[in-house]
Amino acid sequence: MLKHPMLKYLKEEGPYGPRLPLILCPGCGAGQVLNFTLHAVDSIIEEGGAKKEDFVFISGVGCSSRLTSHYLNFDSAWTIHGRSLAIATGALLANPGLNIVVFTGDGDAAAIGGNHFIHAFRRNINVTVICMNNGLYGMTGGQVAPTTLSQAITSTTPYGNIEDAFDLCRLAQTSGASYVARWTTAHPLKATKAIKKAIGKKGASFIEILSQCPVHKKETPVDMIRALKAMTVPIKKAEGSDKIPVGEFCDTPRPEWTEKYETIIEKCTARRS
Amino acid sequence: MNRIFINTDYCKGCLICVECCPKKALKASSAISAKGYTLPEPHNPEKCNGCGMCEIVCPDFAIAVEKEDKAV
Repeated sequence: MLKHPMLKYLKEEGPYGPRLPLILCPGCGAGQVLNFTLHAVDSIIEEGGAKKEDFVFISGVGCSSRLTSHYLNFDSAWTIHGRSLAIATGALLANPGLNIVVFTGDGDAAAIGGNHFIHAFRRNINVTVICMNNGLYGMTGGQVAPTTLSQAITSTTPYGNIEDAFDLCRLAQTSGASYVARWTTAHPLKATKAIKKAIGKKGASFIEILSQCPVHKKETPVDMIRALKAMTVPIKKAEGSDKIPVGEFCDTPRPEWTEKYETIIEKCTARRS
Repeated sequence: MNRIFINTDYCKGCLICVECCPKKALKASSAISAKGYTLPEPHNPEKCNGCGMCEIVCPDFAIAVEKEDKAV
């Protein structure tokens, strides 16, 4: 039987038996985002843009962060909650040539890791952050998150959320990210293309992918994907629309942090000798 | 003709592939799998143009399309 082409990048067997199928619930958007990312990474490797050894995948804690070291056949680290960007900074300092991809959820990035999130983009470190935003805390029981849309029903807001949601793309853009884009799991080809472009960029890039949590929202995955398509609008037509804009928010290269650090090292060693 | 393979061990029956197939070459099976899921199955497999959309959208890496060799 023919196997899925991306299974070559996954560990199907582990020391304690089979690791697949994924631990995620049926129809979870996180599995789809992993699939998009592997397609993007595969096309970069096929085109000779980078080697498999150059990639490092880092994640924190959450449903989406289960995707790295347990399943991926790349160098990867499954780290502490919200601090995946701090660990990515350390990995990049140790080896500035790495292509670091950080998988994070909306709770991991915007709630507990909010400060790491804004400062990583302020420093413009060379990482690609892929945020799977399902608008709630999935792993702990579907509670309200900073990214939950206004009026949305979750297990802790049964009468509708009274708060407004964080716009993570605007936050990353104003913090100083080099490349920011938002897509949904209903836009698989555009999301894959954006991830590929983001990995190729020097500096901090942020991709937010709105995804579905069919279990806590108590809807079918197909209905949720249709709803994601209906609630978004391309960023060029977003003026005056109350829908969520999707597309490229910014593509403005800035000096990268490790490069600036290298020039300081060179300056100091030259002065000493 | 392109052939569609569904890995019944990995598939969790979310049916996103059925929704996203541009040629409607997949449908939900009427049978329930050993794990209790409603799996997709090929429906008019001659309609499949081998675009690979089902492979990209699958959250569980459970579907694969063998493309027909155009030279043959």
